[in-house]
Amino acid sequence: MGDFSDIIPKVVAATVEIFTGMVMMEINQEGEPLTELGIIKDSITGMVGLAGTHKGMLAVHFPNDLALAITTSFLGMDVEEINEDVQDAVGEIANMLGGNVKTLLTDRGYDIQLSLPSTISGEEYTFLADSDLQQIVIPFTAPVGNFFVELELEA
Amino acid sequence: MAKNVLLVDDSSTMRKIVSRSLRQAGLDFGDIFEAGDGLEALDVLEKEAVDIVLSDINMPNMNGIEFLREKSGRDGIKDIPVFMISTETGDDIIGEAKSLGAVGALKKPFTPDKVNEVLGPFM
Repeated sequence: MGDFSDIIPKVVAATVEIFTGMVMMEINQEGEPLTELGIIKDSITGMVGLAGTHKGMLAVHFPNDLALAITTSFLGMDVEEINEDVQDAVGEIANMLGGNVKTLLTDRGYDIQLSLPSTISGEEYTFLADSDLQQIVIPFTAPVGNFFVELELEA
Repeated sequence: MAKNVLLVDDSSTMRKIVSRSLRQAGLDFGDIFEAGDGLEALDVLEKEAVDIVLSDINMPNMNGIEFLREKSGRDGIKDIPVFMISTETGDDIIGEAKSLGAVGALKKPFTPDKVNEVLGPFM
């Protein structure tokens, strides 16, 4: 597939659209994209896999406090601990972003299928890409913390 | 008369968001039923008086396309209109959904205004 850097601005726009339109939270993309994230602490990650003519993954990494704020806004009720509602909300954000990436790749003529979303969380974990995947991590700022959208795609 | 709605999505969060968006959009609807996949949706349709279905596509057990295909073969429920609400709104998959009887599609993410614009004529 080659370079996918032209997809990045569209992923940024889709992320902003999801947060302003559905989470009702103002966010901004700030800082240069990274090639890896390193150790993730006190966070929850939502992800969807891409399969078909090209494999890959779309992941969103939220610190716990931000994930709670997102879920509280989504549901219109206070959520104070990482529970199934938070996992569901974070997974759905990953699902919406993954759908957006699928549409972008389909427009290029690729045949892509999405997995169902899943989440992982913990005090400290690492998220590693396969060596044959291009990896880019986009930083965002939100009112209660920074978060990252990570895209891995087969070169 | 206000229409009864069935929301089909494996995400309970998304079902709540769609339900809230219907209210915020000012649409006139009656009871809201929920199902977590196509299999559950078929069960609800057989038991309840549902007027319109709003369904996700990417779901476990029975996805939205399989649900449409199965529903189209059941006499008592085959004519209940189905609207797809999904991240997947490419021409290929929406074309397949429409060929199986879906009456339209709404892309996630959406706003209450968009819900009103797209679903209003069907409510």
